[in-house]
Amino acid sequence: MQLLINALIGGSFAALLAGGLTLVYGVLRVFNISHGQLALVGGYTTWWLHQVAHVPLVPSILGGVLTAAFVTWICFEVAIAPFYRRHPFLPLVSTIAFSIILDAFFPLLFGESTKSIVNSSGGTMAIGDALITYHQLILIAFTLVLLACTGLILFATPFGRRVRASVQQPEAARSLGIASGRLHRIVFISSGVLAGLAGIYMGIDQNISPAFSFPLTIRAYAAVIAGGKDNLWGTVLAAYIISLLEQMAVGLPWWFGSYIPAGYQGSVALVVVMVVLLFLPNGLFTPRSRTA
Amino acid sequence: MDYILHVIIIIASTLCNALGINLVFGKGKIFHFGSVAVSIAATYPMYLVVEATGSYMYGITAGLVGALLLSLFIALLALRLAPDGLGVLTIALHLTLLSVVATWISVTHGAGGITNVPRMFGLESIESFAVVSCVIAVVWFIIIFLIDRSPYGRKLEALAEQEWYASALGIRRATIYIVAFSLAAVGALLSNLISEQYFRLVHPSNFQYVFFIFYIAIIVAGKPGSVIGVTISTIALTILRESLRFLPLPITALGPLRLLLFGLILLIAVWWRRDTLFPVKRSV
Repeated sequence: MQLLINALIGGSFAALLAGGLTLVYGVLRVFNISHGQLALVGGYTTWWLHQVAHVPLVPSILGGVLTAAFVTWICFEVAIAPFYRRHPFLPLVSTIAFSIILDAFFPLLFGESTKSIVNSSGGTMAIGDALITYHQLILIAFTLVLLACTGLILFATPFGRRVRASVQQPEAARSLGIASGRLHRIVFISSGVLAGLAGIYMGIDQNISPAFSFPLTIRAYAAVIAGGKDNLWGTVLAAYIISLLEQMAVGLPWWFGSYIPAGYQGSVALVVVMVVLLFLPNGLFTPRSRTA
Repeated sequence: MDYILHVIIIIASTLCNALGINLVFGKGKIFHFGSVAVSIAATYPMYLVVEATGSYMYGITAGLVGALLLSLFIALLALRLAPDGLGVLTIALHLTLLSVVATWISVTHGAGGITNVPRMFGLESIESFAVVSCVIAVVWFIIIFLIDRSPYGRKLEALAEQEWYASALGIRRATIYIVAFSLAAVGALLSNLISEQYFRLVHPSNFQYVFFIFYIAIIVAGKPGSVIGVTISTIALTILRESLRFLPLPITALGPLRLLLFGLILLIAVWWRRDTLFPVKRSV
């Protein structure tokens, strides 16, 4: 039971992180390697506002989200917009450069040590023989509501129809007058907002450190690749499955009752990426395309 | 004088790896972001065997086998995957190997690393070390330069630009890729043979992602695929990196400032070379 709850906590975080990324890949067809750093921007700003400037938690979270959105917009203008129409692979290199620049700022501004946004876990409740904190419950509920809202926007609004049209038939969408430049900016900044929220989630549930940035990006890509790259619900489902595998890898006895060292927990997502790319390059949940 | 020799050794070490990576990423336009993973696969077997047997002959053989096996695996992945998928997978491979060397303490010594690495016979003084490092780097430069100008180099370039036409003309992609990755593996081995022996230490922090960024910055700034350009940028960027330590800054700020500098260099270099880094395919 505790494994399932831990998987739900970790999966909600990964779904938040990967949800925005899959939208970006779907609409812009670019990989953004600085996604983990954008998550840390949200986390660190919220930490600074709440713990250093002593702003109440909710306005601090709002500040963190707005800063993440602003830095994501800068990322788009500096590392995506000048490149992605020239060659789809240029942003892969330019966002690596942007991610390194952000990585340099975190220790300079906030130090190397780990930071936690809240000082206490807010109390715990028992579900059977498993424990969960109230903060974690709120975070899981918030993530599920947010993902449902994202789904609602995508599948029940004119804006969502434009986004889906751009994903499915980009040329046809442009020819029907959908302003792709503005749409791309909105989708990219939305992905940064979701990343910022994921960073805040991590800072409240555990802690944040500059060393987490690249592993976060790769963890998000694990879910995106396993879920089928531009498939939002596939990505969300894959995030929960990977999280469950991570918990099972270190939480269950394997051969002769021995456990895998906890240091390998983060590698589970990486192994999932490798296995999926090798055997199912289109992901776990990609519908089989029709052929003539 | 010692400082100049130190910089020469670092340049020689960096050049060996940079020329190999340039062949794969710069000339072949293959999204191989796991060059540091190959360095791990070369370095740890090499120095663990040296530690166990005291013999560099066995150590270099073990390192070569490790690097070649991983490179062969990545070459096969490059043949199978889309370029962006290969890029993400090789980053994942690098982080996985890094977590293995950091966690498998009983074999790799974990975060403590392999200390007191012995030097080869005759390489005790910094002068002799600098001379031998330079000889290795110059010989490697000549080999890569000749390969670059050979029919093999043209085939690799043809595959990067017009894969289908090149294949139709009888260029075997698998063979070309395996040779390119194998040469890059040898470059990684030579680089780590120099640097870890010089510092007498094998440490997981020497294989962080930032080292890959440094190499990518060198290649993009020096003109991808150009052996001479990459050599010049290796010399310039290594001198720049090493001279940062003379800035009157606290030691904790030095690492992030290096990151900032190389991030900016890479971004400017990508912008500068945005039309040639991944050239639009020529049409008749």
